[in-house]
Amino acid sequence: MTRTMRVNNRYRYLAGAATAAILLSLSVAPATAQAAPEAPCNADSLVKETLPNGTTWQMCWRIHKLAGLVLDKVFVSSTRYPEPVQVLDSIALAQLNVPYDSGAVEYNDLTDFGFGGDDLQTLGGDDCKGGSARVGSDNAPEPQRRSVLCVSAEPSGLAYRLQSPEENKPPIAKQGHDLVLRTISKVGWYEYITEYRFADNGRITARLGATGDLSPGDFVTPDKGWPIGKGAQSYSTNHYHSAFWRVDFNIAGAGKEKVEQYDTKRAGSGSGSAIFKTAKTDIPKEGSFTKVNRRWWRVVSSTSKNKDQHLRSYELDTGANDAYEAHPETTPDVTFTQQHPCELFATGNADPQCTNRKTILDYTRDKETMTDPIMWVRVGFHHIPRDEDQSPMPVHWQGFDLTPRDFTEMGTLTPPERDGNNGGPGGQ
Amino acid sequence: MDRKKRATRKRWLAWSAVAATAVLSAAFGIASLDAFAEPTPSTAPKVAADPPEVSNPSPGPERATGVGDDPLTVQEVDKARAIALTPELVDSAKDVTGKKGPEYLSSEIVEGGKGRDAAFYFYDYNSDELVKQIVDVTGGKVTGSFRAKDMQLPASDREVAEALDLVLADPVGADVQKLYTEVTGQPWSGKDKLKVEAHVYNARPADTATSQCGQHRCLQLVARVTDGPFVDLNDIIIDLSGRTVVRVK
Repeated sequence: MTRTMRVNNRYRYLAGAATAAILLSLSVAPATAQAAPEAPCNADSLVKETLPNGTTWQMCWRIHKLAGLVLDKVFVSSTRYPEPVQVLDSIALAQLNVPYDSGAVEYNDLTDFGFGGDDLQTLGGDDCKGGSARVGSDNAPEPQRRSVLCVSAEPSGLAYRLQSPEENKPPIAKQGHDLVLRTISKVGWYEYITEYRFADNGRITARLGATGDLSPGDFVTPDKGWPIGKGAQSYSTNHYHSAFWRVDFNIAGAGKEKVEQYDTKRAGSGSGSAIFKTAKTDIPKEGSFTKVNRRWWRVVSSTSKNKDQHLRSYELDTGANDAYEAHPETTPDVTFTQQHPCELFATGNADPQCTNRKTILDYTRDKETMTDPIMWVRVGFHHIPRDEDQSPMPVHWQGFDLTPRDFTEMGTLTPPERDGNNGGPGGQ
Repeated sequence: MDRKKRATRKRWLAWSAVAATAVLSAAFGIASLDAFAEPTPSTAPKVAADPPEVSNPSPGPERATGVGDDPLTVQEVDKARAIALTPELVDSAKDVTGKKGPEYLSSEIVEGGKGRDAAFYFYDYNSDELVKQIVDVTGGKVTGSFRAKDMQLPASDREVAEALDLVLADPVGADVQKLYTEVTGQPWSGKDKLKVEAHVYNARPADTATSQCGQHRCLQLVARVTDGPFVDLNDIIIDLSGRTVVRVK
């Protein structure tokens, strides 16, 4: 934390100085490009790319022997908002629990095997087609420098579209892009893709892809599997992939975020339709939470505001998600804990420096008040094999989005002609 | 900036083309009515979007030291590992083969450390403890020493090799050789025919023969024929601490 705060303070200072310089220069000369923040890592560990719409993402990357790809010090800026602002202190996988429905086997692929080291794959073939394969340490016990990180910019489809108010003018429309970082780890017959997508609109998507091959040795009775060979035989075992991510926000480098839960509930009927009311529940203390219809959470800065005077935040959006109720750790959707350096994995956390902190259940037990919340996101996928899974298995994905909410007072891609469209008519 | 300008120019050209097409369509309106309806896409502008690009920097030379939370460099690992292996640790601990000195498992940069701090993880087979040595890499000294029972990290290559040796020396080894012949149609000709990795195995509530696993260091092998298919050895648990092999099914 000491280092983090120091880096961030220096960064804010530089950013502030640059802003002042720009303000001063406005009266005497055209604004010059803003001074880039001091890189918090070596050039080989730095990813800094500008997408076609002008959004720049900057971060440091490294490989952890167990967690695989770790991204640190994630900053975003855009043409409309050129000052880089920090979003994350770090994001990484925090467990991958794979139990088979037969009741015979169960793996914890991060803490019992590891995504880094020798099991991290050297990129080849089409692994990084159209992208840049970056060389870095695989963090094996005797580390090797290899091509392990793929950095690419990928089209994300239509970012927005609005009919032009003027006749015979094309619509106001833009194609969006994502900056994509991915690594591949081989764990037995499965191959896992760790992927982070940084969109030009500020959204961050974390997801895990699974490919490789189905287990060659797990075949069961029809009630626990699916026949993938000829006729009614070779019932490949159904199984779970419960993935956890550890997300450490540091919004605008200010830290001290708060956690909020929002619920929207039916509150009677109006003259034209049903009434729904949305209410906030503060989550000041550590705990685990589960989604219900229309429930969501956000991590909100306690000090940093956009120009509309709204506190900056990122919200958690989960999609398809099968909870695994056989373990208390894999049942809730999200856990919030106070930041502690030795709490890195959702389960199987093996650190002799803090022996009583092995799982998120331990982390939340004392219901500590959070001044620097960590968000542990669990996303589960129950895999019922199918004929098409062989072979290689088509990639299946599981993950979540972190969507900016009030991070900027308007969209990062909003074109100048929509400048006045902030709030009600007349900008109220 | 260049790319943006290029894109702007391209869009401009594209819309000029639309305008030109529109004029042409108007001029030859009647003809095009007679013509067998050409699908609209042929008259639509072909906007060849720039393929999105990222920079593709050449990797710099191997660095001696990292910055901030950069991964430990080869030099840092070499230097700090020697420091982590204090004389006391080497004297008291045993490795997976029973020799003096702990079994080296892995190293990590200590995130958010004041300087370049590295955590080195070892397993002491003498006491069945996971050992963590924190080394101030720049200062060249051990700044923290921790050990705990009932904690396991993934296996080292040496441990996996030792586990396979234990399996092959056990009566279960004959079954492995038989399985190899079933899978390949070839007679067993030595352990180099198997490529082996391993999961650490922790005892489940219902375990009896392997109930020590977790307090002991146990492995479950993931084996494949070298350049060939997987061989299912899931039901074999190797207790490296007790140097025993158990078939669990």
